Parts: sequence; structure tokens; C-alpha cells
Amino acid sequence: MENRPPAPSGRNGALTNYWLGGLTAGFLALAALFVVKAGGHPVARAVIPLVDPKFLATTPWRQTYADLVKAKEDLSDYDCYGCHDKNKPPPIRYDANHKIIVPQEHSDIVMGHGSHDRNNLCFNCHNEQNLLTLQVRDGREVSFDNIPPLCGSCHGPTYRDWENGAHGRTSGYWNRSLGDFQRLSCANCHNPHAPRIPTREPAPGPHQLHPNPETHEPAEAAP
Amino acid sequence: MSPSFPPPDKSSDAAMSRRNFLRGCAAFGGLTALAASLAPLREMGEMGDYTSKEQFLQKYYKELTPEDMTKVIARIEGEVQRQYGLRPHVRDLKPMDGVEFVYCLNLTRCIGCRKCVHACVAENNQSRNPEIQYIRVLKMPHGSMDVEKGDHTYDAKQVPEKGFFYMPVQCQQCKNPPCVKVCPVNATWQEKDGITVIDYDWCIGCRYCEAACPYWARRFNFTKPEIPRERINPNMAYLGNRPRKQGVMEKCHFCIQRTRAGRYPACLEVCPVGARKFGNILDPDSEVSYILREKRVFIQLKEEMGTSPRFFYYFDK
Repeated sequence: MENRPPAPSGRNGALTNYWLGGLTAGFLALAALFVVKAGGHPVARAVIPLVDPKFLATTPWRQTYADLVKAKEDLSDYDCYGCHDKNKPPPIRYDANHKIIVPQEHSDIVMGHGSHDRNNLCFNCHNEQNLLTLQVRDGREVSFDNIPPLCGSCHGPTYRDWENGAHGRTSGYWNRSLGDFQRLSCANCHNPHAPRIPTREPAPGPHQLHPNPETHEPAEAAP
Repeated sequence: MSPSFPPPDKSSDAAMSRRNFLRGCAAFGGLTALAASLAPLREMGEMGDYTSKEQFLQKYYKELTPEDMTKVIARIEGEVQRQYGLRPHVRDLKPMDGVEFVYCLNLTRCIGCRKCVHACVAENNQSRNPEIQYIRVLKMPHGSMDVEKGDHTYDAKQVPEKGFFYMPVQCQQCKNPPCVKVCPVNATWQEKDGITVIDYDWCIGCRYCEAACPYWARRFNFTKPEIPRERINPNMAYLGNRPRKQGVMEKCHFCIQRTRAGRYPACLEVCPVGARKFGNILDPDSEVSYILREKRVFIQLKEEMGTSPRFFYYFDK
């Protein structure tokens, strides 16, 4: 300011001063507006709770016998001959409608495999000669930790899809040369006694800012 | 205001005349006022949402030399560490030779549990508030493939509901992508493995691509994304899930940080019914090749748009 040549006329100098004064006042007013937040406080966003980590879990729904063996879990449930007689196939009783009567000891079993009571006989899959194994109807013995061939003996196309990776859950590496690829077994998702996948609670849907597009009401009052 | 004011004698204390003192005060006050009125800029700086000089001067992705990319990755890792307090592992993964990705989704199996939506958010560091989700699960009445009848806000106690099927929609990774055509700055393009990617540092946020996409697959960061520190996924890729800034587009990129390292996408691994299938269509032994060869019904969503999606919907029976 000091280095500026003297103003040529009083009118111009006064004009400069008015301008500078005006700008200063303007900036001060602007600063004051910001300080008192005259433009209004920013509207607080509605709180969106984080999704429950249970919806992020990639663990299978069920554990198979093979999983239990691997995890060294309690296998006493699979000790059939703790109760059953070794040389005598267990009897199967039916009610008046020719429906199987599930004995009290096995009351946790729901008979729901197939419609029309097609599997109204335990020994369609269980081996009556050796309860510690399973059997295909053609007589082949199948161990509890490798059941897909047994399931595939009836569900052929599904078994073929599963073998090709098109049915069932997979995880790991799509590129088999870079890493392992895991495929779940049938019983990891399906309960063999009632294989239909039960209904589940869905994860929360998208948070709606304006559930009613007519009124533009916020979904929740901002805190 | 006399025009004939004598120039002050600079050799003495008299230089500080009353007039000069007042002028100095006025100038100081004016500058202070100017600085105070710029206060909102300071708040922006505190939010850490500045574009750094390095980012501003950064070259286009395809022009970056490997040395440039090393520097860019170091900058991004530094930014993430400053903002979220953890050191990420950022990579610039290139497409593999002889690989073209295809996604198949089994509509017979999908139960609409939305686990894929949230696994995707967790994997790809999407904003939790406001919510940004790449996958939209449409609840559709049986007997229709009209997405206009779909509802993605369903709030059921239990799924699946009777009389409905569920169709998750995400980026279809089109072979003929309309979003790429409309981008005025080439910030989005199709890579040779079929993934349409976005350079978040090149995007100007014009949202043309969002308007061009027939699948509503692109999402815009209207505000600075909010991600809790403990939910940050530190395995990041430059074209993939590194944290975005306000004002850029984002979308599904088939989990580039996983799939280009040979792994399955996050949405696939979390799917409890195995409805999602992913793989290399150029490999005749892959699951997706098997599905496209053996399964009977395919739907490419909005086929008539001529976008030729790499995302196929199929049915079991």
C-alpha cells in the first residue's frame, strides 16, 4: 500500500478506500455467518446400524460326520451299538396310516425326505446289517464321512451338477493352479431326514431415506 | 483525504504516522476477515478429503509406469493409514492371460437372504452411512421376469416367501457396456478379462455412466464415505476396493482384488445355497462353462438392450 503511487485525485483514493472497507466488512460478515452457523447446522444423518456379523459368516449351515471327526468332536451320538443290538437289525414300526413311528430315542429326527412317504423306511439309506455305515439300495456300503455317492444314487442329475461344481457351495480358488478349492458335502446344507432348505431370516434391506416418495418423509427422525 | 499529503520520512519513527497505522490496521483486519471467511475449507481439511498434490498430478492409469504405480500405491496406503489407522495391502492386479470372467446365478436356488449384499459391502469397503450397496436383491412374483415388478426393499421375517422368487442384480459386466461409452474422461473401461473397472482418481463424478447403465448398477458417493475402522478390509486393489472419495462413482468389479488372485468373489463364498457360480468361460472345465453348456434356460437381463452381459441367470428345472 505504501509503495503505491499517490492517488491522482481525491475522488479515486476515496473510492479505493470505500471498496477496501466494503470488502473487509463483507468478509467480516461472512466470517460472522460461519461462526454462528447462520446457514443452518448440517442435518445429522439417520443412524444406520452396522449389519450383524452373523450375516457375514461363510460357515456352512450344518456339520457333517466328517466335520465332527475332523474337529475331534464328541461322537457318542454315532455309537449306535451303545443301545442297539449288534446282530439284530432294529425293528421298524408303522402306525395305522403306514407312517413310520419314530422311536422316542430318536425323537429329534423329522421324517421329511421326499413327498408321499417315499422314504418311509430307515434302511433306504441306513445299513441294517451294520448301523455304523450307510448303504445304497444296490447293497454297496457307504461310510458316514463320504455320503455324496449315496445321495447321488437317487439324485443323479444333482450329483452330476455337484461333481461339476454347479450345485452346492464352493469356496477358495476358481483358479485351481493358484490354490485350494473346497466343495461342501450334501449334508453340510441338507438335513438328510428333511432335506428341504428351511426358511431363514433375511439380512436387513437397504436403509430407506424416503420410504414414502410422495411426502419425502425421512425414515427416522434425525437425532 | 488530502491529495497533497507529503511522503513520510522513512528514516525516522515518524514513518508510522497515524494514517499509515490506520491503513495497516485496516489491511490486517481485511486479511483476517478473508482468512476467517475461508473457515469451511479448514473443516474440509480436517475431514482428510483433500485431493493431494500427488493425486492431482497423477497420470492416467494406462499411462502409469510400474515405478509410477509403486509411488501411487504408497500414496494410497499412506492416505488409508492416516484416515483409518491401519496399514492396507494395496495391489495393482492385472488381468490374466486366457481368462474371461463369467458369473452365473441360479434363480431356482436363491432364497433372497441378502447375505451377498452385506458380504460385498464388507469385502469392498463400501460406505455404511450413507449406504452404498452393489447388489440389489429383487423380490419378483412368480411367472414374470419384468424387473419393474421387482421390489428390493422387502422386509420379510422369513425368506423365501411363497409365490416369489428372488433375483439379485449387480453390475452385469457387459461385453458392450453403455457406461464406458458415455464416460467423457475415459475413467471407466473394460479390461481384457471382461471386468469393467473405474479409476477413482480419474473420475470427475459427472454420473453419466449411472444414467447410461440399464441395470442401475453404478453408485455415486454423494458424501464422504463412512466406514468404521474395524470393518475396513485391508486387502485392496487399485481398481477395486480401495476407499473411495466423495464425488466418484463405484460399482461391482467382480471382487477384482480376489478374482485376479485366483479366488472366488465374496458374494459367491457367502451364498448359503450355492446359487452363485463364477469362473473362467475360456476354460472348458470350469463350472460356468459346464452351466452354460448343460443348463437349459438362460436369461441375460434386458437382453434387448444389446449390452451382452457376462452375468447369466439360469434355472435348474
